[in-house]
Amino acid sequence: MAIMKRKQKVSDEIPTSSMADIAFLLLVFFLTTTVFNEERGLPIVLPEQSEEVDVSGRNLIFFIVQPDGRVIVRRGESEQEQMVAHTQVANILRTELEGNANLIAAIQTHPEAAYRHMVNVLDEVKLSGAERISLQELEN
Amino acid sequence: MAIKDSGFKKKSGSDSTIPTSSMADIAFLLLIFFMVTTVFRKERNRDIEWTSAEATEKIDEKRKNILHIWIQRDGSVWINDVLTPFEEISEVVRPIYAENREIVIAIRGDSEVPYMQINTITEELQAAGAVRVTFATRLEQRAMRARR
Repeated sequence: MAIMKRKQKVSDEIPTSSMADIAFLLLVFFLTTTVFNEERGLPIVLPEQSEEVDVSGRNLIFFIVQPDGRVIVRRGESEQEQMVAHTQVANILRTELEGNANLIAAIQTHPEAAYRHMVNVLDEVKLSGAERISLQELEN
Repeated sequence: MAIKDSGFKKKSGSDSTIPTSSMADIAFLLLIFFMVTTVFRKERNRDIEWTSAEATEKIDEKRKNILHIWIQRDGSVWINDVLTPFEEISEVVRPIYAENREIVIAIRGDSEVPYMQINTITEELQAAGAVRVTFATRLEQRAMRARR
């Protein structure tokens, strides 16, 4: 019997040398497939509810957003109105801000106007570098 | 240099190969670490058409400090996967704001929603005292803007 017993050639150990490769493969796979959804947007701070500030008309410029997306520009106290496309808002506001850095950009949106029209105007106002922005709903 | 073949060469005591047996442990440790620290968002994404803006900024805030308010085209408002009527928004937001003063409200509105509804939401948020608001937008490229 002893003579018949052959020396075993197959190793009975689990091969651990490839374990690191497997683990790193998994690691890299999860690292590359993970998608971080970042939060992006136009930040704005709303006024506190009780906060009501009287502003002199000279420091105001109104951008009145129409339901069709066009914008009426009205400067402070003057009754003059100017109808423009929303893409012109940034340039208008930039010129105005050069004359008066305290200018408040008041965006008045028609209740029926689509949200994207208001975002387009807010975008332009942000691009012009204005710090003081006010959002209002247009009252009839 | 002169000693080179002098017969005094010592046998190096340390092994010159990198020990690879612990490599698997390190890799699994990293794997498990990332698995444990990954937080999956529970909230479902609502079907909306995003608005885009060129001035879009990255909001540098932790995810737990951001509350999404979804407004779909049909006017339904969703907060944390709960359909919320307009007049109850402030009631829903107030306890969340009381618990976490750092909260930033991200308004994710459909591009065609009438502004009236957005205005109602901002008024409700003001009533709840949560004044840090973001109008969630997609970044718009200049080339696309010219086409519009």
